[in-house]
Amino acid sequence: MTGAATALGSWLLAATLAVPLLFLAACLSARLRSTALALQWLAPVPALAAAILAMGGGPLALDWPALRMSLKLDLPGALILAAASLLWIVVGAATFSGEARKPNERFAVSWLLTMTGNLGVFVAADLLTFYLVYALVSIPAYELIVRDGSPSSRRAGGVYMAFTILGGALLLMAFALLAAGEPRGSLRIDDVMAALPGSPWSDAALALVIAGFGMKMALAPLNGWMPPTYAAAPIPAAAVLSGAAVKAGAIGLIRFLPFGAPLQGWGEALAIIGFVSAFYGVAIGVTQQNPKTVLAYSSISQMGVVAAVIGMALASGDASAPSKVAFYAANHVLAKGALFLAVGVAAATDRHRDRWPLILAAVLALSLAGLPLTGGALAKFALKAPLGYGLAASLANASAAGTALLMLHFVTRLAGTSSGGEETEGPAAIVRFWPAIAIGAIFIPWLLYPAIGNPLNTATVPTVWDGLWPIAIGAALALALRRWGASLPRIAEGDTIVAVETAFNSGFALGGLLERLDARLRQWPAASLSLLTIALLLAAMAAYGG
Amino acid sequence: MIETPPALAATAGGSLLVLAILAPVAGILLSFALGGRFAERVALGLTPIGLAIAFAIAALVWRSGAPLVYNVAGLPPPLGIALRADGISCVMLAAAALVIAAAAFYARANFATPKGVMEARAPLAFWILVQAVWAALTILFVGGDLFNLYVALELLTFAAVPLVCLSGKPETLVAALRYLMFALFGSVFYLLGAALLYGAYGTLDIVLLAERMRALPAVWLAAGLMTAGLLAKTALFPLHLWLPPAHANAPAAASAVLSGLVVKGSFFLTVRLWFYVLPALPGGAAEAVLGTLGSAAVLFGSVLALRQERLKLLIAYSTLAQIGYLFLIFPLASGAHPWVADGWSGGIMQTLSHAFAKAAMFMSAGLLAESLGHDRIAEFAGAGRAMPATFFALGLGGLSLMGLPPSGGFAAKWLLLRASVAAGQWSWAIVMLAGGLLAAGYVYRILAPALSAGAIVLEAPPQRSREAIALALAIVAAALGFAPQSFFDFLEVGRAAATALR
Repeated sequence: MTGAATALGSWLLAATLAVPLLFLAACLSARLRSTALALQWLAPVPALAAAILAMGGGPLALDWPALRMSLKLDLPGALILAAASLLWIVVGAATFSGEARKPNERFAVSWLLTMTGNLGVFVAADLLTFYLVYALVSIPAYELIVRDGSPSSRRAGGVYMAFTILGGALLLMAFALLAAGEPRGSLRIDDVMAALPGSPWSDAALALVIAGFGMKMALAPLNGWMPPTYAAAPIPAAAVLSGAAVKAGAIGLIRFLPFGAPLQGWGEALAIIGFVSAFYGVAIGVTQQNPKTVLAYSSISQMGVVAAVIGMALASGDASAPSKVAFYAANHVLAKGALFLAVGVAAATDRHRDRWPLILAAVLALSLAGLPLTGGALAKFALKAPLGYGLAASLANASAAGTALLMLHFVTRLAGTSSGGEETEGPAAIVRFWPAIAIGAIFIPWLLYPAIGNPLNTATVPTVWDGLWPIAIGAALALALRRWGASLPRIAEGDTIVAVETAFNSGFALGGLLERLDARLRQWPAASLSLLTIALLLAAMAAYGG
Repeated sequence: MIETPPALAATAGGSLLVLAILAPVAGILLSFALGGRFAERVALGLTPIGLAIAFAIAALVWRSGAPLVYNVAGLPPPLGIALRADGISCVMLAAAALVIAAAAFYARANFATPKGVMEARAPLAFWILVQAVWAALTILFVGGDLFNLYVALELLTFAAVPLVCLSGKPETLVAALRYLMFALFGSVFYLLGAALLYGAYGTLDIVLLAERMRALPAVWLAAGLMTAGLLAKTALFPLHLWLPPAHANAPAAASAVLSGLVVKGSFFLTVRLWFYVLPALPGGAAEAVLGTLGSAAVLFGSVLALRQERLKLLIAYSTLAQIGYLFLIFPLASGAHPWVADGWSGGIMQTLSHAFAKAAMFMSAGLLAESLGHDRIAEFAGAGRAMPATFFALGLGGLSLMGLPPSGGFAAKWLLLRASVAAGQWSWAIVMLAGGLLAAGYVYRILAPALSAGAIVLEAPPQRSREAIALALAIVAAALGFAPQSFFDFLEVGRAAATALR
C-alpha cells in the first residue's frame, strides 16, 4: 500500500470504533439523543469503508501504546466486517429512520451498543480490547431480545444471559492463560498466539477458547439458547443478531486458534463438534413449526459447518483457510439476516396477491444450501480446498443437502404464516425494499469473492453440478417431510434447554442449605468459636511456614 | 547525635499528612462547638479541602516515587511516632475523600436540621460521625505505628457503630449492638497481639518491626491474634454475623460509607501487617488460609446474595462476597515471585473499585427505597423506566461487581487471574470465575425485573442531584478499568522496601 492509503487505512480503522462511540456519546446529551439514535445506521459506514480497503490492499493496523490498545483488520476480519456492517446499515436504516412505530430509546441505545461491539470484534487486536467489545456485542443484546416484555421473551433473555455470562467467564480464563503464556507480557493477539505452542497452558487455553466461542456460535450441545432467543427477538433484532452478532464467535475461533502448523487432536475434535452441530441443527430444525425457530436451527447447522472447516484447517495446518471460512461466514451474514427479514415481509404481505417476496425468499434460502450462481455457491466453493476430498468433503455435501431440506421446510412454514401479527411484522421500509435486499443478499458475495479467488472458477459445469445434486436430494427429502412430517416427534424449541433449565433450578436447593448454614454461623457461640479458631489456626500456620 | 536511617527520616511535604488528619479532627471539634445546622456546613465545607489535601499528597508521592514521611514532634521512631504515605496510602486517602464527599452531599436530603429547630439529634450525630470516620480512616492509611493504628481502628469502630442506628428503630439498635460487641472482640484480639509484639521488640513502628522481625513463638501468636481481630472487623466469612443487618439497616449514605470504606480500613491494616511487618516470616501457609477464607466468602456471600428478597440485604451480602476477593491478595502477592506485582495491583484495584461501586449501589438503593417506599426486588417491575439514572448507576456498579469490562472490577479480576495462573494456584482462579457468575446472577436479579414492563407509582421522584452523585461514583468505578500502567507502578511505591526484606 502507498503511504496515503496506509494513513487512510489507519483513520478508517480508528473510525470503525470511534464513530459508533461518538454516536453513543451523543446519546448522553438529551438534545442530541433522538437525532443520534435515528441516524445510528450511518455509524457502520467507516467500518464498511475500512473493510473494503483492507480487502483490496492488505491488512490495516493501528497501535495506541498509551491506551494499551491495538486494532488490526486482516482479510478474514475484513470479509465478515464488510457483510456485517452492510447488514447493520440496511436493517438499522429500516428500523430507525422510518416515520411510523419508532422503537423506544432503550432499545435503540442497546442496538447501538451491540453494533459497536460487533464492529469492534473484527478489528480488536489485543486481548483486553477484544474482551471489551465481545462483552459489548453480547450483553446489551439482552434488551433487544426481551423487547416485548412477554414472559416467553423474558425467559429467552434469561437463558441468553446465562449462556453469555458463562461463555464470557470461560473466555476470560482462556485469555488469562493466553496472556500467561506470552513471556514478554504483550497482550497483542498476534504475540500471544505466536507464543501459544510453547506455552505450558496451551491445551487448557484451546479447550476454553473452543468452549467459549462455541457457546456463542451455539455449537451442539451448547446450542439450547439460540432458538428461543431468535424466536423471541423482534424481526430487526433477530436479523442482526443471527446474521452479524453471532459471527463474534466465528471470528473468535479464527483469531484464537493457531493456524499454520498442524494441530492434531484439537483440530479433529472441533471438526467433529462442528459436523455434529451441522446435522443436529437440521435434524431438530425440521421438527419445528415457527419459521424463526427453523432459521435459528439453520444457524446452529451453518455455524457447525464453519466450526468443522476451522477444525479441519487446524488439523492440517492450513494457514489460508481462515479467509475462506470468513467468506463462508460473510455469505451467512447476508443470507441469514435477509431471511429473518423475510419472515417480517411475509407477515406483512398478502401472498395470494403478490408471490414475488416468497419466491425471492426461497432463492435466498437455497443460496444457503449452495444454489448455483448465488452467493451460497461461492461460499460452498470456497470451502472446497480446506475440506479436501475425503470424508469431510462428503459430510459437507451431505450437510448441504440437509440445509436444502431445512430451508425448503422453512419456505413451507413461511408460506403457512398468517399475515397480520404486529410483533412478527418487519419495519415498513423492509417490506418496501425487500426485492432489493433479497437480491443484494444473494449477489453481493460476488463482489467480495475476488478478495480470495477468481469467481469465474466457480462457474464451471462440474461445480454447478456439485451445487445442484445436494439441492435435488434436499428437495426430495423435503417432499418426504411434507408427506410424513406430521409423524415426527414434537421437540421443544431449544431442545436441550429444557433439561438444562431443570438442572439449573435444582441447584437452588444448595442455596437453602447455605442459608441455614448462614443462620448457624451467625449465632454468637459459633462466631466466637470461629474467631478463636481462626486466631489459633493463623498462629499455627505462621509457625509452620509453608 | 544518632543518625536517622533513611527509611525513618522525614521527607519534605510530610506535614501534609498531619494536615490530612487535622482537617477532619478540626471539623469534628468545630461541629461540636457550633452545633446545630453548622455541623452540616462544616462537614460539607471540609470535603473539598480534604479532597485537595489527599490529591496533593498523592501528587507529591507520584512525583518523588517515594513515600512521604513525617515524624511527629520531630523525633524519629522508636522515640517518636511516624506518619507515612506510600502508594496504597495515597490511593486509599483519595478514595476515602471521594466517597465521603459523595456521601456527605448525598446525605443532605436526609440529615438536614429541620427548619425552626436549633438542633436535631440524628443530623448532628450523622455529620460528626462522618467526619470521625474520615479522621479514623486517614490515620489508618498513614499511620506508621501499630498502636497508633489500634487507636485509629477503635475510633473507626466507635464512629461507625452509631451510624447504623441513627434512626433509633429497635432493629437498627440490635444490629448496631451486634456490630459493636463483635468489633470489640476483634479489638481485644488485636491489642493482645500488639502487646506481644511490643514485649518481644520494644517498638511498634512498622519499619523498625519489619527490620527486627524473627520467627519467634510470640510473633506467631501475635500474627494470629491481630489478624483474627482485624478479620472480625472486616467481616470476613465466617466472622460476618454483624455485617448484613448493620449494612442493610443503616441509612443509605451511612451504608455507602460502611460498605465502601469502613471494612476496607481493617482490611488495609491486615495488608500492612502481612506485607510490611511480617514479610520476614517464612510464609505461604497462613496466606493460603487467608485466601481460602476469602474464597469461601466469595462463594458463600454470592449465593446468599442471590437469595435475598430485599435489595439492601442483597447488596450487603454482596459486600460479604466482594470482601472475599480482597483476601486473595495474600496468597497472590506475597513473596518474591514474578507474579506478585499482578496480584498486588489486582488486590488493591479490587479494594478501590469495590469502594466506589458499592457506595454507588447503596446510594442508588436508598433512592429507590425512598421513591418506591420499599426495596422488595420482586416488586421492581417498571422501576427501570421510572428511574433510569438510578438503575444505570446500579447497573454500572453491578458491572464492576461482576468483573465485566470496562470496570475496575474487571481490571482487578484480570490481574488476579493472571497472577493465579502464573503462580499455578488454580483454585483461586476457579473461585473468581464462579464468583463472577454468581455476581452476574444477583445483578441480573435486580435489573431484569426493573427493566421489564410494568406500571409503577413513585411516591416521589428521586432528586436529580442525588442520582448524579451515585452515578458519578459508579462512573469512577467503571473508569478505573482504564487505569494505565503508571497507576499500577504507583501502587508499588514504598512496597519495594518491604518485599526486599524477605
